[in-house]
Amino acid sequence: MAEIDSNVQPAVEAFEEAVSGESMGHKLRRTLGFRNISAIWILIGIVVVFSAIIPQKFLQAGVWRSLLDANAVTGMTALALIIPLAAGVFNLAIGIQVGAGSIFIGWLLVNMGMSVPVSLVLAGVFGVLIGLVTAWLIVRIRIDSFIATLGVSSLLAAFITAISSGRQILGLPESFAKFGIASIAGITFPVIALIVVAFIVWYLLERTPSGRRVYATGGNIEAARLSGINTSAVIYGSLAACGLLTALGGVVLSAKLANADPTVGPGYLVPAFTAAFLGSTQFKQGRFNVWGTMVSVFVLALGVKGLQLWGAPPWISDAFNGFSLLVAVGLAKFQRNSESFKAIRRTLRMDKPPAAAVESSPG
Amino acid sequence: MGKVLLEASGISKAFPGVKALDEVSLQVESGQIVALVGHNGSGKSTLVKILAGVYQADAGVITTPGGGEPGAGKHDGLHFIHQDLGLIPMLTAVENIDLSRQHGRRSLLPFKSRREQARARELVAQFGAHFNVNIPVVALSPAERTIVAIARALDGWTSHDNVLVLDEPTAALQEEEVRKLFAAVRRVVAAGAGVIVISHRLDEVVELADRVVVLRDGRLVADQTRGNFDKKTLVQLIAGVEESPEVALAAHNSGGDVMLSLRGLSCAEIKGLDLEVRAGEIVGVTGLLGSGMEQIGGAVFGSIPSTGEVLVGGVPVKRGAPKAAVSAGVGFVPSDRRRFGSVITMNARENLTLPQLRPLRNALGSISISRERDESTEWMNRVDVKPRGSGERTFSLFSGGNQQKVIIAKWMRNRPRVLVLEEPTQGVDVGAQSSIHALIARVASEGAAVLVSSSDTKELVSLCHRVVVLHDGVIARTFEGVDLTESNVLKTTLDPMALADSSMNGGPSNG
Repeated sequence: MAEIDSNVQPAVEAFEEAVSGESMGHKLRRTLGFRNISAIWILIGIVVVFSAIIPQKFLQAGVWRSLLDANAVTGMTALALIIPLAAGVFNLAIGIQVGAGSIFIGWLLVNMGMSVPVSLVLAGVFGVLIGLVTAWLIVRIRIDSFIATLGVSSLLAAFITAISSGRQILGLPESFAKFGIASIAGITFPVIALIVVAFIVWYLLERTPSGRRVYATGGNIEAARLSGINTSAVIYGSLAACGLLTALGGVVLSAKLANADPTVGPGYLVPAFTAAFLGSTQFKQGRFNVWGTMVSVFVLALGVKGLQLWGAPPWISDAFNGFSLLVAVGLAKFQRNSESFKAIRRTLRMDKPPAAAVESSPG
Repeated sequence: MGKVLLEASGISKAFPGVKALDEVSLQVESGQIVALVGHNGSGKSTLVKILAGVYQADAGVITTPGGGEPGAGKHDGLHFIHQDLGLIPMLTAVENIDLSRQHGRRSLLPFKSRREQARARELVAQFGAHFNVNIPVVALSPAERTIVAIARALDGWTSHDNVLVLDEPTAALQEEEVRKLFAAVRRVVAAGAGVIVISHRLDEVVELADRVVVLRDGRLVADQTRGNFDKKTLVQLIAGVEESPEVALAAHNSGGDVMLSLRGLSCAEIKGLDLEVRAGEIVGVTGLLGSGMEQIGGAVFGSIPSTGEVLVGGVPVKRGAPKAAVSAGVGFVPSDRRRFGSVITMNARENLTLPQLRPLRNALGSISISRERDESTEWMNRVDVKPRGSGERTFSLFSGGNQQKVIIAKWMRNRPRVLVLEEPTQGVDVGAQSSIHALIARVASEGAAVLVSSSDTKELVSLCHRVVVLHDGVIARTFEGVDLTESNVLKTTLDPMALADSSMNGGPSNG
């Protein structure tokens, strides 16, 4: 190491060579390194620890199956959130949007007596409208996204109480509620919906020009605009997509509960943000991304579950989520500032087999 | 002779009080690299802004390669690459190159990702460069990033009849990197395009350019083809005729004690700088972009990370802590007044008292507004802020000159032992410039050590007792007394290596 440090310039060149003509082994090590997939290492850690201390409770098959099912809505909310986050928009209304979707479909089905297909379409339209209004506030009225979404969240809270009178809406039709529990090949319908949504969001963000524009807008809105991107349209689109997905999350939630509860929405806010930010530190070096977010949702859920089974008090889930959010954002900050890229470069340099480094440095 | 791609003739542009461009003409042919040189205020950037369509010329005709008006986007055939490159740091080279492409209806269909990557690799390879196009561009070297930006500009070209304008492309580059970039630029022109390079680095201009256009004070002073210019003639052309040595502040206050000393000060751009400033002395610092001139103020004040020692009155000041610097009696007037020099949403009174609120507290510990008002009014009158009695006015509503006066007054109120100023008269009208200079001289005469960094040579020569020229983070030369002339400083700034050049007055007065 010492000789590398004393020969910084050749080592930097060696790094540049390493990046352009990276060897397979090196690439593999980088891909599987803690920095790239820390959540998966944490996941393994959680499994090992809880399997050791409470094997009889933790290793039951039911725990794992219910974990997937119980977190389908959280996962959908987190996926809905990463779209505006990638576009540089903070959506603090994300939790309450799920709650509003949930209560709205209940109200349509029960109070309005509408059919299931019509209600589903209306709930989707409702979600998109919320997104468009929020985007209008941000783009047209130029309200900072923090404040705009905070305002919208309070309006939605009022809306929820107004149409539900603050009470649960019970008696959702059987044909609707069965979606919440139906399963195909042992996988429940909400989990299937989550997987489908994950693939669609991944495809849109990572594989299409539209997704690229979303990342560009979030990365540097001025440079994006100067590249000919309609950044306003990107913000409208990302919030509309987010609105649609949160409405879907709300629908799934109502189907699972077989009723609509006016109090459930806000509880999704922190877990969604935690998963999105922890997810951004995974795989993609600081970009919000689908698979990082998905892994994070389940790492966090498994952590909470393990602690609960171990006998931790009920406040543990809030504490764990809050703590993890702070750690995740801290990590994301660390990865994003330019200093850290130097750190990544340094780390990569040190990862190189010593022989190669010495070879390429003349001294 | 290649085909003429861009022709600008008889371009004039006036701003209130200044004639920025006076009948300037410029021609770029196919296969030609034209360097546009000139010092600050020569009209260079005005000309570029006119070509980009940011400003409208008052007179003159511009024929663009694409036939459209300047600034007509894709139709003018002009491509500008500014110093900041306009890339999205978190995206990869492939993604950045693809950004400006129109996808139309294909927005929701997948990328042809293989083809896209192959294309990016091919574009990059055109420049003889090979680097990973699939990592975020922040992880690339500066030259590689510049190549990505050029590749992106070239991506949309249907023919080679285009002109690429590079604004200070090498300011952030190491020597090896500059070579890579030049190879890339040569390939662009070899294919038949034209290139305009704006640069202060004359070695590079001599190496690269087929033709050099020199501007001075808004006029075209030379338009030479390769073989008819060398570095020495360029320096002469840019700096102008030798002026009679103007000894501005001959009364060098050598009696004062050393108040500020920098020992081995280092930061990103500065490498182990040693400098001493006496009480009552005004020392100027200048240099090209990347020389360390822009960072010295922040490094001394502690607003940017640095190593080495800063001593005020012989006592070391804690590094990286503006609060410690303020308590040690250091004041800092940064170049970006609106972002760093003031809180523009507060009023002038609140800005003025911000560094020292303690003396304004009354018995209950709250700020005595009446005392604050009296004190700030007094200071604003002392530094002649107009209109009188405008202490309650929001800071953003003041002119640049008046803002700067308030910012200087805010430090004067602190009885500074050291005052550090960056570009003190940037964006300030001519009238206010001289009164700001007078204020700075007053601060020094009251016993403070003053350090001024500026790219305005004229300003430094008339204001300072001593001027230090930085190059690559170290002192290239120091001028004082009869050697301190605008032309000497400017020549050294442009050509720091010509230390032993006997054509200059006197020898180096400092290693």
